[in-house]
Amino acid sequence: MSRRARIVITAGVVSALVAPVLLDADGFPLSTYPMYSQARGDEVTLATARAVDGRGEHSTLSLGVIGDSDDPLIVAGELRTAISDGNAARRCEEIARRAARWSGLPAGSVSIEVVTERHDVVAQVEGRPSLLDRTVHASCEAPS
Amino acid sequence: MTDALPAPTRTRSLAIVEAVAPRERLAMLRILTGTFSVAYFLIRLPVFLQLGERRTGFDGVGLAAVLDGPVPSAVVDATVALTALAGLGFVLGWRYRIVGPLFALGMLALGSYRGSWGQLLHFENLMVLYLVILAFSPAADAWSIDARRRPSPGRVESTSYGWPIALCSLVLVVTYVIAGVAKLRYGGLDWVFGDTLRNHVAYSAARLDLLGSSQSPLAAWGVRNEWLWPIAAAGTIVVELSAPIALLGGRLRTAWVAATWVMHLGILAFMLIVFPFPLFLVAFAPLYRVERLWIDRPSWLSRAMSQRAA
Repeated sequence: MSRRARIVITAGVVSALVAPVLLDADGFPLSTYPMYSQARGDEVTLATARAVDGRGEHSTLSLGVIGDSDDPLIVAGELRTAISDGNAARRCEEIARRAARWSGLPAGSVSIEVVTERHDVVAQVEGRPSLLDRTVHASCEAPS
Repeated sequence: MTDALPAPTRTRSLAIVEAVAPRERLAMLRILTGTFSVAYFLIRLPVFLQLGERRTGFDGVGLAAVLDGPVPSAVVDATVALTALAGLGFVLGWRYRIVGPLFALGMLALGSYRGSWGQLLHFENLMVLYLVILAFSPAADAWSIDARRRPSPGRVESTSYGWPIALCSLVLVVTYVIAGVAKLRYGGLDWVFGDTLRNHVAYSAARLDLLGSSQSPLAAWGVRNEWLWPIAAAGTIVVELSAPIALLGGRLRTAWVAATWVMHLGILAFMLIVFPFPLFLVAFAPLYRVERLWIDRPSWLSRAMSQRAA
């Protein structure tokens, strides 16, 4: 390959790498690498799904039940997208179906809820009460 | 090991395009990157296979942006199978001119498709970019099945082998610089001097907890020790923005590689987020004379290989 061709390709590769930054458009495999770059306070809203019993007590599900994946980034991201796209009810049904096959589902669970919860994450990590707010986006029947 | 980039020839600023290397160095980069990618792909195989069952929430990114919606599961299965086979050919250097691009394209397509459901995983980007560069380079001219079919030309050093390696090095450092710029761009100086990094660690731990997974045992300790985070944040920014020093070679390069590796180790320790490509050091391979890994192999390994051949 000629020297000129190598220069052109090298410039093209660098331009392609920098383009998402200039356009502020994240993608794959060319990215702005925005992960963990935004300013973040200690109060954060997180999407999750819960099992709820007859007394209204909430229990944690598992990554596999909530998102059919062992990757928390995928599970959290896709649940967030489902909520924002108005697909929380459909996602709730999917979670309920997976929960039916899950041995860890607490006895007495009557419903599954897809929620966003606002937490003081520092308090949460330190084991102190942290829940500030909860919004239920969808509720569906838990498997019996 | 010593520098991957040679002393500049004509002009210092064009050292990337003038880089010369032996074909074995490029071959070893193919073997390392290919082996890592195939192992990663096989470990994550259930995730890729499960993509075929998905029907809702599709928003195409990368190559998948050309799709109007999810593809049939048979297409996903076939792509996964073809990519796995091509990966094997990539590592072994078998019919590389066809198999190399096929594997890179497969990984690019599957990575794009996997990222099209609401969550991009940025730790695959660099690996795929290396694969694309290597796929279109003569990386199977040595230490490959293809090379065995041809008479050996002896020791050959050329820009044909050096430039793709230097291009991978350039991609590596630009990527880290972009990541550093993003933190200042989106987070501002508060990312360095405020509580942002501590809150990110707490957020990651809380997210894991709420999703029914386990948080890092170090997270609570780290969050309690607030003094740690401005130091870690400043260190992260310095490491990422100073990535170009790795191209200078020598101790500066190795110091940067060590600092970057420690940074990723810290991310793993406090946030349980794994960036496998740099953690397994494969991301840094273009910066070194990696062919020495085989040429300078321990004598016991040479003896064992000889006995096996006999």
